Amino acid sequence: MIPTSWFLILSAILFTIGVCGFLTRRNGITMFMCVELMVNAVNLTFLAYARQFHQLHGLIFVFFVMAIAAAEAAVGLAIFISLFHHRETIDVDEANLMRW
Amino acid sequence: MIEFAIFFFFAAIAVVFALVVILHRNTVVGALSLVASFFALAVMYVLLDAPFLAALQVIVYAGAIMVLFLFVIMLLNLQHVSEPATRPIQQFLGYAGSAFFGIALVYYLAKYTVLQLPPGPFVSDARAIGVTLFEAYIFPFEMVSILLLAAIVGALLLSSRGGQAPSPVRPEVAR
Repeated sequence: MIPTSWFLILSAILFTIGVCGFLTRRNGITMFMCVELMVNAVNLTFLAYARQFHQLHGLIFVFFVMAIAAAEAAVGLAIFISLFHHRETIDVDEANLMRW
Repeated sequence: MIEFAIFFFFAAIAVVFALVVILHRNTVVGALSLVASFFALAVMYVLLDAPFLAALQVIVYAGAIMVLFLFVIMLLNLQHVSEPATRPIQQFLGYAGSAFFGIALVYYLAKYTVLQLPPGPFVSDARAIGVTLFEAYIFPFEMVSILLLAAIVGALLLSSRGGQAPSPVRPEVAR
């Protein structure tokens, strides 16, 4: 059996990559993909602890996280489409006003 | 022993493709790399005795959400857009801060999480998940369905032009 801490370390590395991309990139869709990467890293942590403590609640949490990530992706991408229609770009530096 | 080989192989795939996501300038390449990374994570879920969630990961994440991303990239014709490199100080601070954060996280995880796995198999098939989901978590389940409905309506409203219904024929096209 693979130790739980190895999965936690892999999850930490993936989460850090997500944070790094979110902080350094300015393309809105790439930033959004970095958020998805962070969400998946946290899912891996949930599953690692679910197996560690033999609890099903971690798995149910991952299920809910997936559903909410789907909703978030739909609304977020709709916001980027709307932004692109108004500004002709999805560079997040251009989206500096709350109204346009 | 074969378990460890599979773990390291797919962990390397997940990390490398995640790095491609944040380093490659082309958004389409980034989205496809993210799909590959999610497949490697699905293998991790199988290693963690959660085959049902591995299937969900492939179907929902790699199948539905990433296709939505690719569809939006295609719709906005973004595959040729490259971002100019500006603001070097902020970029350096972002890299340095996240590297510090990651090193600290891995250090403390490696130092303090020495956990003994309990004996016995972990039963987490679709039946066990379904019983838990529809007994203990029935109210959050219904809330999530309402949230998804609200997200559909919100996405439709936001992506139509300016909140108005799009006109069927644009005048310059009609002429």
